[in-house]
Formats: sequence, C-alpha cells, structure tokens
Amino acid sequence: MASLQGYVDHRVLLILQDGRAIVGVMAGYDQKSNVVLSDSKERVYSMEEGVEEIPLGLYLVKGDQIVLIGELDEALDKAVDLSTVRAEPLPPIRY
Amino acid sequence: MLPLSLLNAAQNKPMLVELKNGETFNGHLVNCDNFMNITLREVYQTNAEGDRFWKLKECYIRGSTIKYLRVPDTLLDAVKDEQSRAREAGRSARGAHVSGAGARGRGAPTRGGRGAVRGGPVRGGRGRGRGA
Repeated sequence: MASLQGYVDHRVLLILQDGRAIVGVMAGYDQKSNVVLSDSKERVYSMEEGVEEIPLGLYLVKGDQIVLIGELDEALDKAVDLSTVRAEPLPPIRY
Repeated sequence: MLPLSLLNAAQNKPMLVELKNGETFNGHLVNCDNFMNITLREVYQTNAEGDRFWKLKECYIRGSTIKYLRVPDTLLDAVKDEQSRAREAGRSARGAHVSGAGARGRGAPTRGGRGAVRGGPVRGGRGRGRGA
C-alpha cells in the first residue's frame, strides 16, 4: 500500500501541476493526498539568474494539484549553492 | 496532523487561497467543511495576472476549485498543542475509570468504559451502553 507516512516530519519536494516546486517539512497528509507543509519555500528556476527561494510558511496543498512528492536529502541539498543553478522552469501541465 | 484539522483550526484566521485558475482570495475564514468548501469574509480577490483587484464582503469557494491555502505559521503549534492536550485528557479520563474498575457494570455506564480494557472479559462489552 502506497503511503506518505514515511515522509512525515521530513523535508520534501513537491511538484505541482502548474509547474511550481515547493520544498517544506511535511507536517501531515490525508486520504486524498492533501498535504500540510511547514516552513515551506517555493523554488523559482530560471535561465537568467540563480534559483530564487520565496518563503511561503505554512501551506496546505490540495492533493489533486500534486504531481510528485520526493524526500529531500537535507545534507546534499544544503551542499548545493542554489545561486549557481540555472534551469528552465517546469511548464504547467496542459490538457 | 490532518490537513482538515488545520483548516478547522484556522477559523477566524486570515488566509490566502489560490484557485486552480490562478485567482487568489485573501480574507478571514468564516467556515469550512470536509470538502474544503470555505467561506471567507472581508476578501480581497486578485486575478490570475495579479493586476486587478476586487474587494468582497464575503464569498464562498468550492473546495474542488482550490489549488492551495496559505495559513499563519502559528497555527501549526496551536493545533499540535491542542491535539496533545486532547490526548492527555483522554488518557487521564480512561485512567481514572480503570482505577475505579471495581464498580464496573453497575450504575450509569460511563462513556469510554467499554473498550477500556483491551481483550478483557467479553461479557457486557458490546451493546449494553444505551437503553439496556
């Protein structure tokens, strides 16, 4: 049975259907994969400048908007200097 | 912690709601339900481009149209405290009942009495609580 329980209290990366990437600590979830993120930040990728982190705080994301949830290796993530990272932003899903 | 318990605890608190079409609504939560349908009061609506604004006295938002909600950081601790308090209260209530277990089976049935002793004697376990 697939479960999000293992991610609770861990820092995770959320990708939403609109292409946004949000990192935060998973504080909770429910049957519909609605997710509570604490201390969350949006990571805005662009080719012009380094990754911009926008603090968002406490967030409740609806499950139907979530594309993927991945556990973040905090040590590895801290070792990356985001200001040097250039990447195309993800496009939103289109139907 | 369940997303809906966080939302319930957010009543009368300010929040930002973004819809799937990109519109945002800033206001205070009046009420919500299990579908995440919500009503807000004193609302500032912003269009998806963020260049037009409307002020609404009150509005109702269907839960299925919501992308995410942003709520005050302080709510997380408030809900966690509330949950641990509720757990503690439940524990001590059960504990008090078990310590007076000699009186079990007579007098008014106490809520929480049934099932308090796991795997205990089956007699009187089920179906005696009401109108017995």
